[in-house]
Amino acid sequence: MLEDILKNIVEMEEHEAINKAKEYLEGGGDPQKLLEVCRDAMGEVGKRFEQGEYFLSELILGGEIFKGIMEFTLPKIKSGSVQKIGKIVLGTVKEDVHNIGKDIFKVFAEASGFEVIDIGIDTPEEKFVEAVKEHKPDIVGMSCLITAGVTSMKKTVDKLKEAGLRDGIKIIIGGGRVDESVKEYAGADAWADDAAKGVRLCKQLLDWRVD
Amino acid sequence: MVSNAKELAEKRLARLMAAMNLEEPDKVPLAGVGGDIVPAYSGLSMYEYCYDSEKALKAMENFLKDFPCDWPFAASVSGLDGRVFNVAFSEFPDISINLTFITGPMHDVLGDKYYRYPGREISEDSSPQFIGGSFMEADEYDKLIEDPVKFIAETVLPRACRNLETPRKAMATMVRLGTEISKFNAMMMQTVGLMQELGYPAMALGGAYAPLDLIGDFLRGVENLLLDIRRYPDKVKAATEALVEPIMNYALAHKNIGATLAFIPLHLNEYLSPKLYKEFYWPTLKEVIVRLVNEGFKVMVFFEGRHDAHLETILELPKGWGVAYFEKTDVVKAKEVLKGHTCVMGGIPMGLIVGGTPAQIDEYVKNLLEKVKPGGGFILAPGVGTAPRETPVENIKALIEAVEKYG
Ligand code: B12
Repeated sequence: MLEDILKNIVEMEEHEAINKAKEYLEGGGDPQKLLEVCRDAMGEVGKRFEQGEYFLSELILGGEIFKGIMEFTLPKIKSGSVQKIGKIVLGTVKEDVHNIGKDIFKVFAEASGFEVIDIGIDTPEEKFVEAVKEHKPDIVGMSCLITAGVTSMKKTVDKLKEAGLRDGIKIIIGGGRVDESVKEYAGADAWADDAAKGVRLCKQLLDWRVD
Repeated sequence: MVSNAKELAEKRLARLMAAMNLEEPDKVPLAGVGGDIVPAYSGLSMYEYCYDSEKALKAMENFLKDFPCDWPFAASVSGLDGRVFNVAFSEFPDISINLTFITGPMHDVLGDKYYRYPGREISEDSSPQFIGGSFMEADEYDKLIEDPVKFIAETVLPRACRNLETPRKAMATMVRLGTEISKFNAMMMQTVGLMQELGYPAMALGGAYAPLDLIGDFLRGVENLLLDIRRYPDKVKAATEALVEPIMNYALAHKNIGATLAFIPLHLNEYLSPKLYKEFYWPTLKEVIVRLVNEGFKVMVFFEGRHDAHLETILELPKGWGVAYFEKTDVVKAKEVLKGHTCVMGGIPMGLIVGGTPAQIDEYVKNLLEKVKPGGGFILAPGVGTAPRETPVENIKALIEAVEKYG
C-alpha cells in the first residue's frame, strides 16, 4: 500500500494518492510511516526536476499533493513523536512577490523534518526581525527572484544585526537571483538555487548549533 | 540629414527583413537594449519615465542617439502587458488595440490589482511590475467557455479593477481611460516621428497572446492554473479553445494600423513538460500563429525562459512564419534545429552586459557570431531587452562596437 502511495505521488496521481493515504490511515496504518513515504516521494520528485525530467508544473502539483496528505496525517501523529530537526523562518524579500519557489522550498524543508514559519511575500525587513524575536528559529530563509530584492536581503540582514539577533541564527538565501557573490554582499551564510540543495545546506547549518 | 535618416532607416529595415525572410543580410541586425537604463541615462527616475511623456521621449532620444542599433525594440514604451483588456474590448477593434500596454496613468485610472507602478505602490526608482493574481474561481470555467468576452468584461474585470467595481464607477473610469488612450497615442505618434528622425525603421507592431497564458496571467494565476490543468483538464482545454476567437479579433484589428508583424510574448512555456505543453499550450497558440500567417502577418514569439524541451514543435509552423526570440535557450542549438525554417533572435545574456567587461563582451559576440552568422536568418538581441539602471554604459557601447566589427 505504502509503495503504491509513493508511486502515485511521484506519478502525479493526486486523487489516488490522497484516497489511498486516507484508506491506509483508516485501516490502522502508521501515520509516521506514511509521513516518511511522502518525504521520500517528494525527494524523488525533486530529483526528477533537477534532472530535467520534471518541470515546474510537476513540482507545484507534487507540493500540493504532499500538503493535501499532511493535512489529515499530521494531526494523527502524537505531538512530540514527530522529530522536528530545526526551525526555519521563511519569506520572500521586500519588493518581490514571487512565491512559487519559496513554497516549494517550504514543502521540501517540511518533508525533511523542519518546522517552517512562512511569513509571506514582499516581506518588510522589520517583519523578519519580529518573526525571529517571536519564533526563535535556527535558520532564516530568504527567497529572492528579482534584482531589486538583493538590496532588500542586505537590508534585512543589517536590521537583524542591529537588533542583536544575527549571531543566534544562520541565514540562507535562495531563488533565481542568488549566487556566491550575492551571499557575500548580503551577509548570508549559505545560498541555494534549488530546493533539494537548500534543504541539504540547512541540515549542515544546523550542525553549527551542536558546537 | 532628413534623406540621410531615411536612407539609414531603409538600410536597417532591409537588414531586418532579410533576416526574417531567412536570407543573409549585409550585416547581422542588432535589436538593442532598453529598459530602466533608458531613463537612468538621462537622470530620470522610473516614476518620471512612466508618468511624464515629454521627459520620457527626451530620454528615449538621448539614449537612441548615443546607443544606436538596427531595431530599438526594447527602448520604447513603458507600459505593462494588458492582454486581458484587449480581449475584453475585442468586439471593438478600434479600442481593443490601444490596450496592449497599460501605462502608469492607465493603471491609476483603472485602479487594477494586476500592476504596481513606481511612485504609486512601489518606490520611484523601481521598474513597473506585473503582479497578477486570481480573479476567477475554479468552478467558473463553464462561464468562461460559454462566453469568454462577457465573462472577462463583466465578471473578471470588476473584480480585478477597483474602479470598475460598479457600473457607475465604470462609466467614469471608461471616460478617463479614453483620455489616457488619446494621450498615449499622441505620444506614440511623437515616438514614430523621433524614430524616423533618428533613422530607425517605422514598423507598426501588432500583437496576440497564447490562450493558456491569458488564463494564467490574468484570470486564475499561474499556480492555480497549473493545478487546474491536472484537476480539470477538459475544462482548461475548452477554455483555451474558446479564447482563440477573441484573441484573433484583437490580433487582426492591427490590420487597420498597417501592422505586418505580430508580437506574442510567452510565459508558461517553460513551466510545462513536453506532454502538457503539447496538450494544453501549443495547439491553440499554434492555431493563433498559423491564422495570423495566413492573414499575411509575420509573427514574432518571445519564448521566455528555457524552451529547449519544446524546440521541435516550432517546426510544425509553416516555413518562414516569423521570428523565434529566445531568452535563455541556447541560440546556437536553436539555430541548428530551426535553420532554413525560422528566423532566430536573441543570444546575449543580460548578465553579461550588466556584469561583464567590454573585453568579455567583444570576445563573446565574436564567438557567437562565428557560429550563427553563416546563412543569415539571425537577429542578435539581449535575452531580455530590459537592462537595469546600473548597467555600465561602456558595456552597451562594447556590444554595439562588437556587432559593428563582427556582424
Ligand atoms: C512566475 C514568474 C512570475 C510570476 C510570479 C507568480 C508567483 N506567484 O510567484 C509573476 C507573473 C507574478 C511575475 C512577476 C514579475 N516578474 Co517574474 N518571473 C516568473 C518566472 C517565470 C518563474 C519564477 C518561478 O516561479 N520559478 C520557479 C521556482 C521553482 O524557481 P525558484 O524561485 O528559483 O525556486 C527554486 C530555488 O531557487 C529554491 N528556492 C526558492 N526560494 C528559496 C528560498 C530558500 C531559503 C532556499 C534555500 C531555496 C529557495 O527552491 C526552488 C525549487 O528548486 C521567472 C523566470 C524564471 N524562469 O525564473 C520570472 C522572473 C523572476 N520575473 C522577473 C521579473 C522582472 C518580474 C517582474 C518585475 C516583471 C514585470 N516587469 O512586471 C514582476 C515583478 C513581480 C515582483 N514584484 O516580484 C525576472 C527577474 C529579473 C531580475 N533580474 O530582476 C525573471 C527572472 C524573468 C526575466 N527573465 O525577466 N513573475
